[in-house]
Amino acid sequence: MVSTEAATAVMKRPYEVEDGLVRLRAGRCPACNAVYCPARLVCDGCGHRGLEEILLAPRGKIYTFTTVHQSTPEFQTPYHLCYVDFDEQVRVMLPAAGEERPRIGEDVEIVLGTGPRLVGTEPEEGPHALMVAGSATGRGEEDV
Amino acid sequence: MSDVYVVGAGMTPFGKHPDKTAAELGAAAVLEALDDAGVSLGDIEAAWVGSVFQGMAMGQRALGEGGISGIPITNVENACSSGSTAIWGAAMSIKAGAYDVVLALGVEHLTGAFRGAFTPDESDVEAQRGLTMPAVYAMRAQRHFAQYGTTSEQLAAISAKNKRNAVANPLAQFKKPVSVDEVLASRMIADPLHLQECAPVSDGAAAVVLASRRKRAALGGSRAVRLAASALKSGRAEVGLKDMTVEDLTWRAAEEAYERSGIGPSDIRFAEVHDCFSIAEALRVEGLGLFPHGEYPARVVKGEADLDGRLPVNGSGGLLGKGHPLGATGVAQVVEVVRQLRGEAGPRQIPGARVGLAHCRGGKAQGVEGTACTVNILTV
Repeated sequence: MVSTEAATAVMKRPYEVEDGLVRLRAGRCPACNAVYCPARLVCDGCGHRGLEEILLAPRGKIYTFTTVHQSTPEFQTPYHLCYVDFDEQVRVMLPAAGEERPRIGEDVEIVLGTGPRLVGTEPEEGPHALMVAGSATGRGEEDV
Repeated sequence: MSDVYVVGAGMTPFGKHPDKTAAELGAAAVLEALDDAGVSLGDIEAAWVGSVFQGMAMGQRALGEGGISGIPITNVENACSSGSTAIWGAAMSIKAGAYDVVLALGVEHLTGAFRGAFTPDESDVEAQRGLTMPAVYAMRAQRHFAQYGTTSEQLAAISAKNKRNAVANPLAQFKKPVSVDEVLASRMIADPLHLQECAPVSDGAAAVVLASRRKRAALGGSRAVRLAASALKSGRAEVGLKDMTVEDLTWRAAEEAYERSGIGPSDIRFAEVHDCFSIAEALRVEGLGLFPHGEYPARVVKGEADLDGRLPVNGSGGLLGKGHPLGATGVAQVVEVVRQLRGEAGPRQIPGARVGLAHCRGGKAQGVEGTACTVNILTV
């Protein structure tokens, strides 16, 4: 049987907004510090049961990206996706905010957005990655 | 533990089969494999059957159509590695001494079950955010570009090679060669991957009959191929910031297969690998240790992976040229290796092929590198 506490945890939205900053909810292993986003029950690295909840930094860096031109029928295309690396040593897949093609190595701010839109449904707000204007790493070659 | 031999192989044409059911396709592959092996229905002691989107008890339906019932039948779903996981299970049951003759079947009627791009399971957070399978590989391709200077033209050459090989394979879905320019002119699916760099939606089935050393001797004949190793691994949890051009999952399966067989990467004469996308072929062969990391796309342009090259890769046409009926794919790869090792590959025959490798890797699930990966090494 699923406890009320566990059921509530499942229903929790995957981020918090603090002082206008969007921070993703994640889990950190208190034994070995491995970070998972989303959190999980047991740490894969050391087997510790029960991760502590943390909020990730509101910024990260684009590890890689793509522009999706064909998806499942539910999604309107095109849309950009990227993997974002966080200082907490965890990588998260997020849709990119805005029209601009993402660039590897670029700093991003986590914002709330509604794409990629499900066809025929009310857009639901969720975390997106927004490239920070002039984050100065340019095309990010020094990162690879 | 007994050695395991492939004593029979069968495969339907891959492509679109609107007039056939999955069970009919499966039964056709099974009957061809039995005839090829020279065994009768009653000789089959157990069966393992891989499929992905075919619903409950695919094995019982296909084998029932083919006149086999009552024996232990195990249905396997392991994403795109379902069929090769069936081979792994069948081989293990012979090694364990439980059976002497075991059937492995892979079957999929995908045109009747699916449209659009593949995604991880819909409960997956990444899938809910719009992640598709082409997008996963597109993002890995972008890293390969950034880290190794790989280009779209080089990836397109991988597709062109496999589609050219498919022309020489009568069972392949695609019958026409496609040039690098045509690959690049096809519509974009997920940047930088074009339509012609993505495996098609296919129907088909493939089957092999595996036998113990004792049964192989009883059957006589000299066409048996030894399954020198069969390894299965699943993806490790993604912890930390790893290099997405590195296939830890593929390497761990390969490492076990190399160790168990005593056959190393330098002994492999040719390989069938899981080229669900053009970039995937590069990631696989580099992960298998068959080509230096980061260099494969450039070496394909030089012809090193052609049928007459240093190490032919996907001489059957691969998933890109032959087709990709998910559950059938891993078995079809082994069927191809068997036919090459027997010298029965016709116009695509690799001269002097005595050691071949089949690599199959499937799926994506939140938080792990990949779903499942098999490496089978076969030899005569």
